[in-house]
Amino acid sequence: MVRWKSRYLLCEVNVVDRSRLLLLDDRAVAGAVKAAVARIHGDYGAALCSIRFCVKYLNAHTGIVLLRFPKSCYRILWSALPFITSVESRGQKIPCFLNCLHVGGTIRTCQKFLVRYNTQQLHRMLPKCKNEEEKQQICKAILNCTLTGKDKEESEDESENEEDEEE
Amino acid sequence: MIYRGLLWMVETIGFSTVAINYVLEPTAKKKPEIPTPTPISDLMDGLPIVQGRSRPIRVLNRLTVVMSDASHFRLNAAEYRHFDLLAVQPTTEKLFHAACLLYDVDIICISLTEKLPFFFKRAPVNGAVDRGVVFEVSYSAAIRDSTLRRYTFTNAFSLMDTCKGKNVILSSAAEKALELRGPYDVTNLGLLFGLSNGDAKEAISSTCRSVLLHAETRKTASGVIYTMKSSSESSCQERAPPECEAPAAKRAKPT
Repeated sequence: MVRWKSRYLLCEVNVVDRSRLLLLDDRAVAGAVKAAVARIHGDYGAALCSIRFCVKYLNAHTGIVLLRFPKSCYRILWSALPFITSVESRGQKIPCFLNCLHVGGTIRTCQKFLVRYNTQQLHRMLPKCKNEEEKQQICKAILNCTLTGKDKEESEDESENEEDEEE
Repeated sequence: MIYRGLLWMVETIGFSTVAINYVLEPTAKKKPEIPTPTPISDLMDGLPIVQGRSRPIRVLNRLTVVMSDASHFRLNAAEYRHFDLLAVQPTTEKLFHAACLLYDVDIICISLTEKLPFFFKRAPVNGAVDRGVVFEVSYSAAIRDSTLRRYTFTNAFSLMDTCKGKNVILSSAAEKALELRGPYDVTNLGLLFGLSNGDAKEAISSTCRSVLLHAETRKTASGVIYTMKSSSESSCQERAPPECEAPAAKRAKPT
């Protein structure tokens, strides 16, 4: 059977100032990627970008972006991503860079990786806690993650709110 | 203070070893003074733990000498001992030839601010590859500016033609935390520079590690014997000094 194959690129948007992350918008990120590809690869790149490219998932609290590219040309488009220096959203420029974490063939594999990655992030945040309450929340979130079940997505959402309090 | 933000970003992304670069650009008239690097413990108290690993980040000191004359680089100067890595940036053909075959350096930098006035010849490049000297291409200039981007690609391509992708490292000459890029992105940039898939991956992992080991052998006697001061005096004076292989293996980290 013929099937449209894509590559899903899981990226993290790194900024210096975390409060600016909340301004992120999926259209802003898509615009920044298209502009960077057009700058580096010219008209050919801009044309490749309009085939099946879109931003599938964006989490403004943690800065995780899931991009979809067609399988035949994802390397070329991926090579333009390091040249993104800022994302413009709602009239403000956010200086940032995209750091690619994982490449997957389907959204499910990227999601599985994201769950593991977020668990690692929780473990990293634990020693940096400032007061007892945050520590309790993170411990609870970590314990939730280690149980198998459908509550994994919810525990990620809880933990993301705590990141704003700390940094 | 700048270093703190940079180091934090580096360990977030996942690099386990970092070298802080001091650039020395001697002018024709005066003898240059080699700067002494600030010890790592002064920069940050308590190095952060790298994401995904259980050990703290390893910070090294590196000196880059921009050479326009043969007298700028003094062989075996005593001040070089403070630095863990030595790099040289030759600007003429003769200096490039000498640096590849004679000088005791670890890294040869490819300059990015101009189109190179000389072409790379097979003979010195192959000699450098045999000796274990690597060529370095840095990518943050390409991210910053469009003209520098063109020169970077030109110079990188002509290097890859000659050295066939062996002994190349990619490094960021980052001055701010936002000029760093993650390891997968840098590997992909290597593809743009003309490296093959396997070579690009090696350029940020195993070749870099071989540079670190090469730098360690510079402090030893032909890479075989490594002497270290031991804290207990009584029993150690009669023992033969341990071999270089053991300390290097103990400090080896996956990069």
